[in-house]
Amino acid sequence: MDDKTKRYEKIEFLGEGQFATVYKARDTLNGNIYAVKKIKLGTRQEAADGINRTALREIKLLQELHHPNIIGLVDVFGQRSNVSLVFDFMETDLEIVIKDTSIVLTPPHIKSYIIQTLKGLEYLHTHWILHRDMKPNNLLINHEGVLKVGDFGLAKFFGSPNRIYTHQVVTRWYRCPELLFGARNYGTGVDIWAVGCILAELLLRVPFLPGDTDLDQLSRIFQVLGTPSDVDWPNMKYLPDFVQFKSFPGTPLKEIFIAAPDDLLEVLKRMLAMDPQKRCTSTEALKMQYFSNKPAPTPGPQLPMPGSNKIVDKEKPSLKRKLQSETVGLAKRLIF
Amino acid sequence: MEEQGCPRCKTTKYRNPSLKLMVNICGHSLCESCVDLMFIKGSGTCPECGTALRRSHFRLQLFEDPYIEKEVDIRKMILKDFNKKEEDFTNLNDYNDYLEMIESIIYNLTNNIDVETTKRQIESYKKDNKDLIKKNKSKLSKDEEYLEMLIQQEKHESEVQRQLLQEDEARQKNIKLKNKEALIDELMFSEMAAADIMASHRELTKVTDTSSTLPKKAATEFSTGIKLGAQDTFIPLSKMDAGELYRYEPTQVFMCGPKCLSEEELVFQGYLNHVRRASDIDLGGGYKSVMACQRALQDSFCGLYYFPNTAS
Repeated sequence: MDDKTKRYEKIEFLGEGQFATVYKARDTLNGNIYAVKKIKLGTRQEAADGINRTALREIKLLQELHHPNIIGLVDVFGQRSNVSLVFDFMETDLEIVIKDTSIVLTPPHIKSYIIQTLKGLEYLHTHWILHRDMKPNNLLINHEGVLKVGDFGLAKFFGSPNRIYTHQVVTRWYRCPELLFGARNYGTGVDIWAVGCILAELLLRVPFLPGDTDLDQLSRIFQVLGTPSDVDWPNMKYLPDFVQFKSFPGTPLKEIFIAAPDDLLEVLKRMLAMDPQKRCTSTEALKMQYFSNKPAPTPGPQLPMPGSNKIVDKEKPSLKRKLQSETVGLAKRLIF
Repeated sequence: MEEQGCPRCKTTKYRNPSLKLMVNICGHSLCESCVDLMFIKGSGTCPECGTALRRSHFRLQLFEDPYIEKEVDIRKMILKDFNKKEEDFTNLNDYNDYLEMIESIIYNLTNNIDVETTKRQIESYKKDNKDLIKKNKSKLSKDEEYLEMLIQQEKHESEVQRQLLQEDEARQKNIKLKNKEALIDELMFSEMAAADIMASHRELTKVTDTSSTLPKKAATEFSTGIKLGAQDTFIPLSKMDAGELYRYEPTQVFMCGPKCLSEEELVFQGYLNHVRRASDIDLGGGYKSVMACQRALQDSFCGLYYFPNTAS
């Protein structure tokens, strides 16, 4: 046991979240580079409760999941009350790629990212797992351009007939209408909606639906995509937190994504369907024309990487924002 | 794995997912409603072993095996009194013997071996070591001390970080203020053209702005620290050779069991008549009863063909 703490040699500090600190580390046995996520102890009370819940969830699920597009949990080790998880080392994530304006995202790039995301998601969904926190920040990319879905702190099994699920999941901007209306039993649609938002963000290079509050989020969704009628989403009115919204006509997707081809707009339309019953599954999505049509997706190694970190270093994030995110920070979450 | 359930009313976790199992000191579990029913008066006997129990001593069962619960309970109780530390012994052998004694006491109590003698042993130990027990109770164990230290360290680090940031911000503010004053002074008293003064001043502030005194920490590589439109270096698009067109390949589920029916087959062959119908709320949220049906079938089929390899 004790050997393991020495086995992984810290190289540098990578980042910090609410529940953990992440280091880049070298495995002294084989020289591989990994990301070591050290779970924080938190307050005394939390420490007495034992291992952090999100960490436990992550360990439990990731131990059994093996797919090229799912982050690999290599090792777990502990020392007294300290638990650390060892992950594949990932150079960057999709949020950084989207925000790096020196990168030009071509249609083949976008296709490649979305295909990889959907493949990972399809694997999760066929094993009855919902990720429940899909966002660019959680789509990690390694130096070979392989995209892996990360951060399983909110993931959960689905498809149980009686279990009640919380609707307070998924970062708001990527949250689907049924969750915003308080649905307690839901399916793969929650992850697919988020992928739809991510695809839109890849095209626009800014968040597609950046709502300030849950209500604002809903009204933004309806303003852009049109308020659903009783025919569009027959069971909407039964949801616990349903409120009748002003009827917006919505903007045709063609006018928002002027440069997007029709096959791509079709994918967006199916992923951002209001009624979760009509939303496509990851399998259905992957079978759609857009993905097999030309242009072909960019092979991994040719995908763009964010400019050297030196450039990033120079741009110091404003201190205020840093302080705020540290103190006010909603229960939101990890880096990984 | 055996299905978890209440031994009295035979309800299982599968049939009632909200089933709550409780345990008492004897280590036999009962579900919440049975406890409510049998212990209306506040006390009663365990239906399994007949031990007299108090209702207030029932608590939620955390482990699937109630035996572990019992052991944990007893261990907690025993360790309250048997709280000697390594420093209290002259040599390691004595300490090891002492630890062994504790383990055998706990083992005896959880497995109902020589309960009377063991209890007597505990009593006599308590009598002999009264003072030491009292003294050690007030002390923290080594592990707890270590934990305390770690927590303090974590707290301290974040405190220092915050302070540094605050100081830095205050300093920057000060510098800005001073610069402003200097500019106004210069504009008032200098003979140069106003535009020139402004220009030279702008140059100056640019330099001071970027020279923060904060120790350069490795910038958080993982997102959220990066400004929009921050970079002006432009990487020209390189010409790429087109890759292969994408073709869908279904994911293979490792079943090691009979093949599962597809969603359509489940719907048309009437399987859904035996599953709870999705309510209006469920349907609105994207839940389908076929999901539960398919998952239950998959769960039960998976691994049916598995043959444990006895040779290895």
